[in-house]
Amino acid sequence: MCFGNVLRGQQSEGAQAQAMRSDGRVAAGEGAEIKTVTAPGDLCYGARVQPGTWGEGMEKSLFRFIWRYSARQQIYILLITVLIYPISYVLLELPKLIVNDAVQGEDFPKEIWSFEFDQISYLVVLCVSFLVLVVLSNGLKLYLNVYKGRLGERMLRRLRFELFQRVLRFRLPHFRKISSGEIIPMITSEVEDVGGFIGEAIALPALQGGMLVVQLGFIFMQDPLLGLAAISSYPIQGYVIPKLQRKVVLLSRERVKNVRTIADKVGESITGVAEIHANDTSAWHSSDLSERLYQNFKIRYEIFNRKYFIKFLNNFMNQLTPFFFYLIGGYLVIEGDLSIGALLAVIAAYKDLAGPWKELLAYYQLVADVDVKYQTVVENFDPADIYPVERLIADDKVTLEGDLVMKNVSFSGGAAGQEVSDISLTVPSGTACAIIGPDGSGRSEVLQLAAGLVSPVAGRVEIGGRDLEDLTAATLGREIAYVGGAVHIWTGTIRDNLFYGLRHRPVGEVLREGEAAAEYQRWQAEARETRNLAYDLTASWEDLAAAGVEDEIALNARAMALLKAVRLEADVYRLGLQSRLDPSRNPTLRQSDFGARILAVRQALSKRIASDPKLSGLTELWHAERFNNSASLAENLFFAVPTDPDLTLESVQSLPEVRTFLKDSGLDERLQAIGQKIAETMVELFANVSGESGLLNTYSFLTRDELPDYERILRLARSTNPRAGLTDADRLRLIGLAFKLVPARHRLGVMDDEMRQEIVEARARFLKDVVARSSQFEAFDPKVYLPSLTIEDNLLFGRARVDRRDARQRIDAVIGSMVEESGLREPIAFAGFDYHVGVSGSRLSAGQRRRLAVVRALLKNARITILDDIATGLGDEEKAARAKLRELAGGRTLLFGASHSAVGDEFDQKIILDQGRILEDAEMGA
Amino acid sequence: MSLENEVEVLRKVPLFRGIDETKLRLLAFISDRMEFQEGERLCTQGEEGDSAFIILRGAADVLVETPDGERKVADVKENSIVGEIAILCDVPRTATLIASTRMDVLTVSKDDFLKLLKEFPDIALEVMRTLALRLERTTRDLAAARSVAAD
Repeated sequence: MCFGNVLRGQQSEGAQAQAMRSDGRVAAGEGAEIKTVTAPGDLCYGARVQPGTWGEGMEKSLFRFIWRYSARQQIYILLITVLIYPISYVLLELPKLIVNDAVQGEDFPKEIWSFEFDQISYLVVLCVSFLVLVVLSNGLKLYLNVYKGRLGERMLRRLRFELFQRVLRFRLPHFRKISSGEIIPMITSEVEDVGGFIGEAIALPALQGGMLVVQLGFIFMQDPLLGLAAISSYPIQGYVIPKLQRKVVLLSRERVKNVRTIADKVGESITGVAEIHANDTSAWHSSDLSERLYQNFKIRYEIFNRKYFIKFLNNFMNQLTPFFFYLIGGYLVIEGDLSIGALLAVIAAYKDLAGPWKELLAYYQLVADVDVKYQTVVENFDPADIYPVERLIADDKVTLEGDLVMKNVSFSGGAAGQEVSDISLTVPSGTACAIIGPDGSGRSEVLQLAAGLVSPVAGRVEIGGRDLEDLTAATLGREIAYVGGAVHIWTGTIRDNLFYGLRHRPVGEVLREGEAAAEYQRWQAEARETRNLAYDLTASWEDLAAAGVEDEIALNARAMALLKAVRLEADVYRLGLQSRLDPSRNPTLRQSDFGARILAVRQALSKRIASDPKLSGLTELWHAERFNNSASLAENLFFAVPTDPDLTLESVQSLPEVRTFLKDSGLDERLQAIGQKIAETMVELFANVSGESGLLNTYSFLTRDELPDYERILRLARSTNPRAGLTDADRLRLIGLAFKLVPARHRLGVMDDEMRQEIVEARARFLKDVVARSSQFEAFDPKVYLPSLTIEDNLLFGRARVDRRDARQRIDAVIGSMVEESGLREPIAFAGFDYHVGVSGSRLSAGQRRRLAVVRALLKNARITILDDIATGLGDEEKAARAKLRELAGGRTLLFGASHSAVGDEFDQKIILDQGRILEDAEMGA
Repeated sequence: MSLENEVEVLRKVPLFRGIDETKLRLLAFISDRMEFQEGERLCTQGEEGDSAFIILRGAADVLVETPDGERKVADVKENSIVGEIAILCDVPRTATLIASTRMDVLTVSKDDFLKLLKEFPDIALEVMRTLALRLERTTRDLAAARSVAAD
């Protein structure tokens, strides 16, 4: 294991862990094209983790940080900069030489390095050297700039990564003091300037300082007195400017903190936006923000004032010095102590002095600014009680076998009702224990202590004789499963969330070839360079061995069994029915002939519907020769679905091929007329209806805001003035309106049988002219599985009639039973695994989220399972759920937190807590 | 099967007699047109009522629960509205309706009907007038029945 060298005294365990994990392999399953090889090998933080880069606190000063991690590169940059300087100097001198020596010169031929040149060839040589130097100088500058930029970006990446790692190392109680709204800008925007500065950090002051010294030396050599005059303002500047700058630094600090608060306030307003609306507090929040913005303005204004005052002072001082030159120098010249030529040379040298001095001053201000930003960020990432780095990154897992024992444990969460004192208990290995107590009794704290999520203030929590404090996250997070009162569901699919608890480290490697391999090499090299993690995100991360299954299919099956056990399977099945799935792109489904089986159910269903008059009255199936009154006009006309799920059939008239088809078939005029009739009726019906009632938006084809626009279109359409015609966009809107018409629902009397017939006839033409030629559409075909339709629509292949009561529910029940009979329920439920749960699971109900979290925990197959406040009701259903959970945990330790004492009677052991103390610890012998 | 003939029927329903045509068209448009087969239930006594039925075509039996099972007490025919009590006040269905022939029915949901009343107070007035007439008649019937009973 690669962390071995930084871990103290864990060598033997490391070796053991490696032995355990050397069977790392990846299931075939979906990733047929991704070949995987065995032995994860040295998958870890780039090369070895350098002692000191991780274990200690962060560098408090920006310069120490820069020097520590980029000293070599900084010196290199300095060397290149120094190299550029003489080239630039020669480049400035050469034109003079060309004009004075080559063009206006005499005494030719000239001899250089024993070569003789006449005037023309001398000119050519000088000009060519000029060209070479131009190329060289600019090339070096380009190289240097890229090099600096790259160094800055790498250092920035390293800094950001380390900051994030530190966030992960914070202890849980620390998160009560900080908010994400403050942390996010620190890691993202606040350190951004640091990256731009790093490349300049050493080279610029070294070079400019050097130049300053050289120029000063020249002046001193001319006359020490004048030299003193030249630097006469430096002591004043050196004293006053830092004083002024210090105030600016303090202000910048204040500004950074203020902006952080603004970010936090905005973030909090977004999270609690429902509360803002529910309480009409938008004015309060706006004023609050306005106040913060004013503070920001004030600070900024103050900074400007001081910054520009410093600039003013500096310029003033610089121009004051020549005053001394003229006075002292003039006096010396008049007295005859100095030649006029020397005075002029000194004045010229002083002018050159101003450049470096200005640069240095700007640099000084930049350093002050960036350094304060760095410090203001870094100080937040060094809490005293941060977890040691080994806890986070070590990959050594020990097996937690044995009793769970708490010895005189005390803990304080920092508020009343969040503390426990002097808890001593023993939960024998493999038994189920209920921890009973209302909120604020210390129940949740005891369970979190048992999970190793928080650390006791006093006492020890041990499992099998091992103190949880000394164990790494690799052990705690894999050997213990914990579901707390507030579960978090990750943005992603249900599958992502189910298998989340198995994604500890990548299992196996992805085999890459050619360009992909080179790109991966580069990616790894960069990770090494910046001490980032070099784990391959595209590899398989699901630890099948930990879940106790052979391959991915078995893992899916296990997940499904658990979903059934917590009664979430029916929900996942329904989500699966609603999902779109392309069986040809999914190897597992292709193997199991999913598409063909769906088609078999479709056929059986259509037979059953045909033979059962009750069912046939509830549905209208797709039939190539028949108009479907329960479907929209667009579906009836095109008899196809767009392959792009974002494109609705009602908006396809904007596609060029569809427009051509409509024009050629002459349908556009007819559809436009229908759309116009619909618009007329809508305008007539809803003209006097107010917007508030919601009638318009629920029932109309158009929204309140669109109404005036359609009134305009209607006026134009009726107008006899040939010039005031409808635009193309207007026509398309009318056609779009017609497309939305579902004749059985909207009984507007705009469709007659002749029109229906015409539309059915147009289908064949559309199929031939558009669908056959374009990949934008897939034709309805009773014998073909359409990936663009939901699985449910593929099964029914028609519509439940809109004019029959509860037709949808009744036909769904029939579909459900037929799916069950054909053994398709499970594959469809698996399709539901790919359902996207929305941001933080927002598309699932609270109950679904909790159940999903329970399945996630159970799937980990951990030795100790801790559930807090899950299925704690006294009803029969919840009681059965608890029995099921006990059964699933069978043979492993289960800690179950609940508030009702009666719940505890069902478990082997019942521990009742009150105000952070154990009230009762009883064997139930259940 | 268009709004026009639905409006024709609506106009024959006493409850909507005084209401002008555009509003009846709107009422028809926001209602769902449903088809019921013979023997199919429109609603069941005791369940929560969320819509009224306007019978466009066909007839239905009105049944009530008795200790001996469901018993037919009346029937409703074309051009009548049933279940309107349920959409004006929250009471459970007072009877069961079963289609005795094939029926075409307009169902008006409670929410939409109330929105319509809010939107057009003259409809509310008309509904009030009809209900008041009914109440007056019921009161008169009750008085008559009482006087018979007193005799």
